[in-house]
Amino acid sequence: MALRPRAKRVDDVERQLKDLMIRGLAGDAAAHAQMLHALAGRLRGYFGRRLGTQAVDVEDLVQETLIAVHRKGHTFDPRAPFTPWAYAIARHKLVDHFRKVGSRREAPLEAAEALWSTDDPAEQTARGDVARLLSALPERQRRLIQDVKLTGLSIEEASRASGLSVANVKVTLHRAMKALARRVRDANG
Amino acid sequence: MRTDELIDLLAGVVRPSRGAVARVIGIALLAAIAGSFVVMMLGWGLRPDLRAALSTSAYWMKTVYTAAIALAGLALVERLGRPGARARFGWLVAAAAFAIVALLAAGELAALPQTQWTRDVMGQTWSRCPFRIAVIALPAFGATLWALRRMAPTRPRLAGAAAGLLAGGVGATVYGLYCQETAAAFTAVWYTLGMLVWAAIGAAFGGRLLRW
Repeated sequence: MALRPRAKRVDDVERQLKDLMIRGLAGDAAAHAQMLHALAGRLRGYFGRRLGTQAVDVEDLVQETLIAVHRKGHTFDPRAPFTPWAYAIARHKLVDHFRKVGSRREAPLEAAEALWSTDDPAEQTARGDVARLLSALPERQRRLIQDVKLTGLSIEEASRASGLSVANVKVTLHRAMKALARRVRDANG
Repeated sequence: MRTDELIDLLAGVVRPSRGAVARVIGIALLAAIAGSFVVMMLGWGLRPDLRAALSTSAYWMKTVYTAAIALAGLALVERLGRPGARARFGWLVAAAAFAIVALLAAGELAALPQTQWTRDVMGQTWSRCPFRIAVIALPAFGATLWALRRMAPTRPRLAGAAAGLLAGGVGATVYGLYCQETAAAFTAVWYTLGMLVWAAIGAAFGGRLLRW
């Protein structure tokens, strides 16, 4: 059931961008600009997930793809969906980029809807892992890890929030970290 | 340049572009047919008995086959020049056309004594036919590549092969106005080979020829 809203979102993006694209092809400059703006955001995510969001090449690739979408707009078939067309161009630019920089990396061929994905899969996995590890700790240890290590409270603040003494917070935290480290070792071994 | 500025710049040069692909492909097809015809007239001319040949089934067997390959190539170029478009139909048409001619050839050979098979397949001109078709198809290949470069092929090897198929089909159809071979077996082997020359070259060099 979790898929339902996501699928709807993807459909909405498709419908909206296709509409703007068709109007742009008919000569509507405002619609064309709006489509390029919306696409730029999605492309930044797509290339960022492939190259790392800090890579200097990401914005270059976004711009190259936008220029290609603009120059090759006439190859869009208004009877066909927009998503596979835009995805094929973006992936083409990514493959071309890997070739130019002499990288042996490959651009995996995914479902075209990958272009509209707004979440970073690596980050999501990491978040899931942390949550799973924490859930195995006793309630008091988990709360302290959350407050101090994740939220960033000081020991004093955590002490006030939990009602434990500063020394007690330190000891509990120390035990919790050791327990976590053990669990990570077990999980990896 | 910032991406926002780039978008403003691009949006400032919007112009209607409906039917641009059909126009480009139409121009390329006309140029391909005209170019191939000129090369054939310069090199070989028409067969002297062309008028009589037009009422034989052998002439039309060859012409329908090669024209079907050209049409399959045309459909593939139109599809493969568009990013993300599916292109199965054209390959099926080309395969079906070849399968039919191969069946006709098998039937033709089955009706002949084995001693005449070699003569039926080789005809009089087997050693020249594929070469001539490839030469005649050269301008057609150039015209088709020109059209594809104005489109956006994201699978350049397949697109190059499709361009070669279209060019080979046009070249072989034009060559049919000169060639006096009549056997289906000859057509199935040597015409097919001649038509595949540019398809193979297109597949081999598509990545470099169709970069954008």
